[in-house]
Amino acid sequence: MRVRGLLWFNAVFSIMPVALLASAVVEGRVELPKSHTAPIQAKRYEIVTKGGVLSTQPPLAVVYLDGAFPKPASLPAKEVAQKDLTFVPVLLPVRAGTKVEFPNLDDTYHNIFSYSPVKRFDLGRYRREERPIPAQVFDKPGLVTLRCDIHEHMRGLILVLNTPYFVMTDTDGHFRLSGLPAGHYTLKTWIDSRTTREKPVELKNGQTLHVDFP
Amino acid sequence: MRSAVQARDEGVASFRTRLFTAIMVIVATLTALGFYLAQRKVTADAERNLQENFQAELSLLHKLEELRHAALADRCDVLAAKPRIHAAMEDNAIDLLYPSAKDELRDLMEGDEPPPEQAAQSLHAKFYRFLDSTGVVIKPPNPYDVGELDAKTEAQLALSRLPDTQQIGYIRENTETGGGTIDEVIAVPIFSSYTGDVISALVIGFKPLELEEKNAEVEMRSGVWANGQLHLPSLPKSAQASLNEKIASAVASSDREQDNFRVNVDGTPQLLFYKRLNPGSLFPAAYEISIYPLAHSMAQLHRLRWQIGGAGALLLLGGFVASHVVALRFSAPVKKLALDSEENRAQRKRAEAALVSTTQELERSARYSADASHQLKSPVTVLRAGLETLLTREGFKPEVYEELSALLHQTHRLTGVIDDLLLLSRVDAGHLQIASTPVNLSQLVDEWLDDLSALPDSPDVKIEKEFAADLFVAGEKRYTSLIVQNLLENARKYNRPGGLIKVSVHGNARNVVLNIGNTGRTIPPGENIFERFHHRSTPSTASGHGIGLNLARELARLHAGDLCLVRSENDWTEFEVRFPAADGVNAAA
Repeated sequence: MRVRGLLWFNAVFSIMPVALLASAVVEGRVELPKSHTAPIQAKRYEIVTKGGVLSTQPPLAVVYLDGAFPKPASLPAKEVAQKDLTFVPVLLPVRAGTKVEFPNLDDTYHNIFSYSPVKRFDLGRYRREERPIPAQVFDKPGLVTLRCDIHEHMRGLILVLNTPYFVMTDTDGHFRLSGLPAGHYTLKTWIDSRTTREKPVELKNGQTLHVDFP
Repeated sequence: MRSAVQARDEGVASFRTRLFTAIMVIVATLTALGFYLAQRKVTADAERNLQENFQAELSLLHKLEELRHAALADRCDVLAAKPRIHAAMEDNAIDLLYPSAKDELRDLMEGDEPPPEQAAQSLHAKFYRFLDSTGVVIKPPNPYDVGELDAKTEAQLALSRLPDTQQIGYIRENTETGGGTIDEVIAVPIFSSYTGDVISALVIGFKPLELEEKNAEVEMRSGVWANGQLHLPSLPKSAQASLNEKIASAVASSDREQDNFRVNVDGTPQLLFYKRLNPGSLFPAAYEISIYPLAHSMAQLHRLRWQIGGAGALLLLGGFVASHVVALRFSAPVKKLALDSEENRAQRKRAEAALVSTTQELERSARYSADASHQLKSPVTVLRAGLETLLTREGFKPEVYEELSALLHQTHRLTGVIDDLLLLSRVDAGHLQIASTPVNLSQLVDEWLDDLSALPDSPDVKIEKEFAADLFVAGEKRYTSLIVQNLLENARKYNRPGGLIKVSVHGNARNVVLNIGNTGRTIPPGENIFERFHHRSTPSTASGHGIGLNLARELARLHAGDLCLVRSENDWTEFEVRFPAADGVNAAA
């Protein structure tokens, strides 16, 4: 994971050399909804539906800087694996145009599909030795619900964003978004499928802005 | 008498009429009651039988439907658990709902329509639709796959809200032929496997299961009444229309989910049953309708009526005969009784009349005797006075005096007879009262014996006396004396020359008995010498006027004593008079 994280970090920097020069930082805390049930496993996340609203459990938020940014020629592929009959990670924010692979790490069949208007696809049934690894490119921004046709309880979320600047909070809601361009932007946070909060931000180079989402 | 017989006959006849009327009334009442009860029973039986039949058919239908419903519920649960359905519902991909369900429900729509007997198991649907969260039908992208419906029919599938449980409904589907068919629709809720909420409903339309008309004996026709429309294809349209209104009003007026009533279809009486097919459903109320012809029970009733009527007539005839017989049997003793009482009455009347006339006669004769005696007495007195005057005159020849003297004696006799008669008449009339005083009988007898011997024509008889002095009897001296005189005169009169008269008196504290016996001719047995104006049958020189003994006895009896003949044989005739002794006097003496 650490290797992957570094790769992703390098990729961002290699794609956006401007960001290296102008690096503004936003950090703060998102007030996450109270978790009603204690997590079964500390590190295991699930997607729960309540009243048609999808969110992670325990709650996690995605903070991203909204705006029009030039599209890169290519983007590194991301991955949502199926392991122990869950999606890993359970919530994946990606920039639009990103290819996401869905490796099956279980010993059973999975059939990943999505009926979400943003991206409809059906990967069909496959096992872990399936090659090439089934993948989809997510072009349009929006929330994609991942399901498995065989394991009805499996849910995963892919949040497709227009921006390259996004980060997931920790379970306490703390976040830090660095390497941001200076200028007027809207800082948004996705809390669940129905709740997105936003705040206008004035970013200046070399400055660290503190923003809290109540 | 004639009218009495007539009246009696009329009485008997009216008794008979009343009896017959009573029997007729009873029989008529029984017959009417029999009619009523039979009618009620037949009607009730018929209704119960038909009701049972209806319920049995219906429960069979319900069992089949339950099978189908259970199968459907299972299918829907499985369906609802499918991630694709959920995805379609939850991920705002309604357009993918039908395609997703298509594979799952493929078998519902495929294949030919099964034969009716397998309809329940086959789950062969005509169409299906999904309802969205507000209960509105989600339009299928390709109606051909899910069974085509026109807009009007499809609109009937919508519900006011999503149901928690299976809902059964009946909708009318208009067909090209214009007849229209009834579809049974079942709405099954789809629960979210994550939240447990109802997220949708699947509405599946079937050809309704039909009651099998297997019972040939009961010609049942059944259909469905739904949405205010009757669907009973075997009935002509006009009949359906008229029935439709009746069912609508019956359903509207009654809270009951099932009932029955009589209707006329094609001019024949029928029993119509209805029962709610979908109680508590969100779909409009639908009723199973079955009509049964009542011809069978009517025929049975008709037959039974004839039987009861015949029985009633027979009973009436029997009653007529019985009333006659009974009336005759009853009337015979009544008749006899009437006759007897009539005779009794007549007899009594005759007896009463006789008694009255006898009494009157007796009174008249008593009065006559008294009157006659009185009337006779005065001329006798005049006659005697005349004779006595003549006797005192001188100058007649001696034989004239003798004759005059005899005549005078006869006047005395006549006076005696008249006195006796007068006394007797008083006794007869009951007017004679005894003033009872102590009378010295011994002295009285002595005096009369002296008089007797002093009589001029007394025959040569010897007199024996045997009594104590001063024996007192209770009586009136006049009449006691008369009794003694009568007996002594008789004893002298009927004696023979040289004969004997024996007089004895015995007494005790209670009675004094006087016995007077005389020699001479005896009284023949059987001759009633105490009869008034009795004369001895045998010729005799002695003469009496025939009332002496009678008078003596009457007087003795008036004294509470008696006079009787003790014996009359062997030249000896003896009378005995019993007097009551005077109180205390004899004892003192």
